[in-house]
Parts: sequence; structure tokens; C-alpha cells
Amino acid sequence: MGQPPSAEGTPKASPAVPTAQAELWPGRAPEQTPEALVVFAASSLQDVLPLVARAWQAEAGVSVRFSFDATSRLAPQILRGAPADVFISADDVWMRWLEERGGVDGTSIRPVTANQLVFVVPRGASNPPEDPGSIARSDLARIALAGENVPAGRYARAALESAGAWGTLEPLVIRGGTVRATLEWVARGEADGGIVYRTDALAEDRVSIAFAFEGGDYPTPTYSGAVTTRTERREAADAFLGFMSGPEAAALFSASGFGPDGDGATGAQVPPPALDAASGLDPWSAVRLSLIVAFAAVLLGLVPAVALGWVLARRDFPGKSFVSMIVMAPLVVPPVVTGFLLLSVLGRESALGGLLASLGLAIPFTLLGATLAALVVGFPLYVMAIRAVFDTVDQRFEEVSWTLGVPKAPTFRRISLPLALPGIAAGAVLAFARALGEFGATVVLAGNMEGETRTIALAVYSLLESPSGQGATWTLVIASVMLSLLALLGFERLSRWQRRRMEDHHGR
Amino acid sequence: MAGKGTTRGADGPAPDVGRWGLHVQVRVPLDAIDLDVDWRPESDHVAILGPSGSGKSTLLRVLAGLEPRAEGRVSLGDEVWLDSDAGIDMPAWERRVGWVPQEALLFPHLSLRENLAYAGADPTQVEKMAESLFLSDLIDRRPRFLSGGERQRVALGRALLAGPRVLLLDEPFSALDRPLRSEIAAMVRAFARDSGTPIVLVSHDEHDAELLADERWVLVAGKLTADGASA
Repeated sequence: MGQPPSAEGTPKASPAVPTAQAELWPGRAPEQTPEALVVFAASSLQDVLPLVARAWQAEAGVSVRFSFDATSRLAPQILRGAPADVFISADDVWMRWLEERGGVDGTSIRPVTANQLVFVVPRGASNPPEDPGSIARSDLARIALAGENVPAGRYARAALESAGAWGTLEPLVIRGGTVRATLEWVARGEADGGIVYRTDALAEDRVSIAFAFEGGDYPTPTYSGAVTTRTERREAADAFLGFMSGPEAAALFSASGFGPDGDGATGAQVPPPALDAASGLDPWSAVRLSLIVAFAAVLLGLVPAVALGWVLARRDFPGKSFVSMIVMAPLVVPPVVTGFLLLSVLGRESALGGLLASLGLAIPFTLLGATLAALVVGFPLYVMAIRAVFDTVDQRFEEVSWTLGVPKAPTFRRISLPLALPGIAAGAVLAFARALGEFGATVVLAGNMEGETRTIALAVYSLLESPSGQGATWTLVIASVMLSLLALLGFERLSRWQRRRMEDHHGR
Repeated sequence: MAGKGTTRGADGPAPDVGRWGLHVQVRVPLDAIDLDVDWRPESDHVAILGPSGSGKSTLLRVLAGLEPRAEGRVSLGDEVWLDSDAGIDMPAWERRVGWVPQEALLFPHLSLRENLAYAGADPTQVEKMAESLFLSDLIDRRPRFLSGGERQRVALGRALLAGPRVLLLDEPFSALDRPLRSEIAAMVRAFARDSGTPIVLVSHDEHDAELLADERWVLVAGKLTADGASA
């Protein structure tokens, strides 16, 4: 990820100059759901934005697809060419960072809504601090903040500095990744207090708000939106941004606890809207996508896995151990690293990625990318299982076939392949199971876009940042566990069939 | 060419090649010993006797083209199967030998009928072969349902149906009881006679040699010598 952005003033970028790469980016090919606007937005908006989008759709007739993640992850993704039309940042710093690098059109930047920082303590905590000035004096042992580059983390530090408490409290600070993770620590009592957004705190009933950082001395977390430079849907993007600043959207934001001063959202008497249905994260879409990705990965890998498995089992050649090592590497290399390497090789800056993109085969941030990531990470298991099967198939069956006048290739087709078939299927099932569980390489190579690359694992991960994702999370967790167990059961049965087949010729 | 009851010596001293022209001059490095032979059998039906581990099976594999470690020369008539110096090694599927390994090695995923027809024999030939091997009742079973003796017979029939130029039999009767042994041997002999197919048989059992061979050799510790008891 990029270096920490600087808040320094920057020259305004000239409006919407699409780069050459952006034109090559075929994620925007018109046949790809031409009606949906793609919005990359800070994850703290995960619950409210789909409501706004739905209201806008009713008016404008254009649907919206979201990719929610930490602002600090989204901005670099857009710069790398993710097919976003609109970017909504949780702070100004990342927005300026992106503008400086030509990712968004500076003239389109406008404030969307605001949030407020609050200090939360576990519910029922005795003796909570009552105002910013008293934090330093209270006997808190650990204070949870969001990560340094995450806007909420930066706002929190700024607030503590304004309160003159940073120097005292810094040794007590533990850093969570996201606001949601930070909140979770407080809710579980791992931390005695923490600083999060008001909207997140309101949705979590295991914590109570000790006080809010109110007044001009403290930073007001402000969300800003902008149109990306690479959009081909400028009009729709502008219209959506305009709608978000309008009164109808403001009412929705305010009902969810957003807004400059929390009006309409004091305390818990504002019931959170029916979020699970509306949060835009359809668990079954993630399940479907996972199945598609896993099937596609297994099919795509079948021929290479059989070929490599056979060669490794039956042939000796110089460099064999090197080939074996390369094939097995994704098993031990962290998937995130694998994803990064894939992105380096297949990303739009690379020669190969550029070539593929010009052929209409975009890899990063596409379904194909998710499939490829799942394939590469599952491939070692695939090859290893098939190699083991060919090891158990008596080579003398092939020799008998040769002496009967059948050359190598037809012998492979008529003898080796059918004898190894149950084992090959077992390998495929194992690779399928691994593909279902793939996360690290996928999130780096393919991002986390609903309906496109957000598979079960990614959806669960996203839901952890959503204050209202409990129900959907459990649906996904159960689906994921069931699918995995089913796959392992299939593997077991196929392996047994293979063993029986090989015992056949040893007699009764 | 037919091999009808010829006895060795009728043609006088051996000509440059044997009667059917097999000439084997090979060395194969094995684990304990080296197989090292210079061999020209004269009769059509030859038996090689020897204790286990003497290299008998390896010799058959050399003839079948399955032994990549073999160095030297193998020729049949004026056809060269192996010539290491010239870089010639005719692949097994072009040599068309009828190799019947000791373990039968029936293809486990194919029925008995499919095993017999593997090399492309037509269905009536397959039926006839099954009948003469007393296998008609079992023809649609998978190999795993057969006894050891039944398997050996199927392996034999599978090799015969491929129209081999030489039959290479590795202890082919070891799982058959005596009466059946004579019957199957007679059937193989008749087949060999009618089709003019030479046989090389390896066994540790003299009885097998009596049933099928006109000429005997003994392989001990990788060295092949003519056996005085030749028919």
C-alpha cells in the first residue's frame, strides 16, 4: 500500500483526464452491467449508503454497486485501476492523496456527510470518564484506536492531541485495524475504552458512549465524495453525488446517526433501520460467487494439474525439484504475498497485464482475477493429489498396453487416465475446497467488490466491519462450513474409490 | 515360416542368425548382478530356466522394449530393435511382442471382454478365444472377480489376440493346476504352430519347459548357457 498520504495543499488536478490505462481497462466494457454505477465507499457507510442508493435508484433509475472497505485500502485500489465511478472517503486526506495522483477529479470533490467521534466504554463500566479532559486522569489501562492510516485512527489521535491527553495516553493505546475491530475490543472488554464513530457506537449495544468529542476544538470526521477520473459514467456519477448532498439523503444519513452535530440521533432512541435487508450485502450472492469462482478455478486448472501431476510422478528430468518447488510454493507463501506477486505480474502496469487487458482479459478486480487467485492458491493441493494418484497406478499396466501395440498417448487416455480418475476427482475436490476458502490473494488481486469478487470469505470479512452484519455473517459462516465439510467428504469417498480400484489387481 | 518339429542340428552349424533370426547381445546393469548375454536361439520355441533373481524377467523386458537400461543390440531377422551405438531403440508398441507378465496385469477398470479386445480384436475372435481358454462364463466380469489362474489365461488370450510376432511368457502357468496347464499349453502350442509365432518362455519350472519348448537355456547370475537337456 502507498505511503501515508500528506495533508498538504495540492494543485488541483485538471478535470477528468482519462489515462491511457484507463481506456485499456475493460472492466468498463459496456456489456458489463451497463446500468450499475460502481461506488467505492468507506466501510463505516456500509449500512446507510445502500438506503441512499435505493432512494436514488427510485428517482434516477440507475442502480448502484458498492465496494466497502477501509478508505485507506480503497484509495490505492482506485489508483491501481479498480473500476470505480465514485469514491467516498472517510476523510479529506485520502481524497487529496488520490486527487494528487490523478485518481479523482478534483473539481468534483464535495462533502457528503459527517460523523462524530465518541469515547466508548464497555457497557456497565464503573466510573467512565465524563469529558475529554478527564481521560488522562482516569484509571484506564488500555485504550483502543483504529489503525494509524485508517481515518478513524487519525481522527482519534488528533482529538486526543487537542484534549492535551495524547502524551499521557500514548503508551496505553492499542491499534485495531478498522473502527469495527476497535469497537469489538471494547465490547469484549479487551480494552477499557476506545474512540470510534458515533454511528458505529450506536449500533453496538455492548458498549456505552461516555462522551462525544464535541465543539470546535475537535476534528469533525467528514466524508467527501468525488468522481473518479476514469469513469465513463460522468453524468450518473455527478447525479449520485448531487443526490447525496440533497435533503432526502440528508434525512437518511441523519436517521442513521450521521450528520455534523448528531441531531435526530441522540442516544439509543433512534432505532437502527432494518439494516440486514438493506445493507446491500446479499449473503447468497457471495455464496453463488464463491461456487462460480471455485468451479471455474478447478476447471481451468484441470489440464495443467493432470499434466504436471503426471510429469512429476512419472518423469525424471533436470530441474524437476525446482519445478516441484515452484508449483508447491503457494502452499507456504502467505496468500497475500501470492496475490501481490500476481498483481505485479498481471496488473495493468505490467507488460503481460497490459497485453491481456488489450485483449479484453482484465485480471485485477474482476471475476477472472478472483478465479485466478483461487486457482493459484489451490493448485499445489491439486497437483499434489494427482501426483500421488499416478504414483499408485502401477506403471506396468501402461507397459502391457504398449506391448499390445498401443502407443504412449492413447495408452495414457485408455489406461492411465481412467485408472487415476477417482484420484484426479479427489484432487479437484480438494482444490475446490481450498478455492472456496481463499481470501488473502483474492483481496489483493481482485479487491472486494460485491457481485464481482466478493466471495464468502471476503463477505464475512466485510461484515466484520459492519455494525449490523450479524445475521448475514452467520448465514455465510454456516454456508461456508457446510460447503467445506461437503467437499472434504467428497474427497474422502473419492480417495477410497481410488484405493479400491488399485487393490483390484492384487487378487481377492 | 512355421516351426514344425525341427530339431537342432538338422541344418548343421548355426548360420549367422538363428532359425527365426533373433539375436540378443545386451548388458543390463541390475542391482546385484549384471545381465550379460549373447544369445541366438535356434528353435522356434525356447525356454529359459533359472532361479528367481537370475534376470529372466529382465531379459523378457529387454525383448519387449521395456528396459531403458539395456545396452547393446537386439535384432529380429534384419530388423534392428535395439542398437545403443546407433541410437536405435524401437518402442514397445512397434515391436508387437506378446508379453504375458507373471502377475497377468489385467486392466482393472475393464471387463474381461474389454481386456481381451484391447488390441483391437473383433468380437467373434474374442468370443472364440474366451471359449478356448474356458473363460466364456466370466467374460463380462471385472478382473477383481477372477482367480489367479483365470487371470493368467486372460492375459495369455489378450496377448495372443494382439497378433504378436513373438510370444514372451513369464512363468505363464504358475497359477494353473497340472491338468489345466497341459491343456492351455497345448492350446498355446497350437496357436503358435498355426500362426508361426515363436515363443520365448522363462520359468523356474522344468515342467513348463517340457510342455512348450524345443530348446532350453539356463540363466544363472546373468549368464545364459545352453542346457544339455535340450529336446
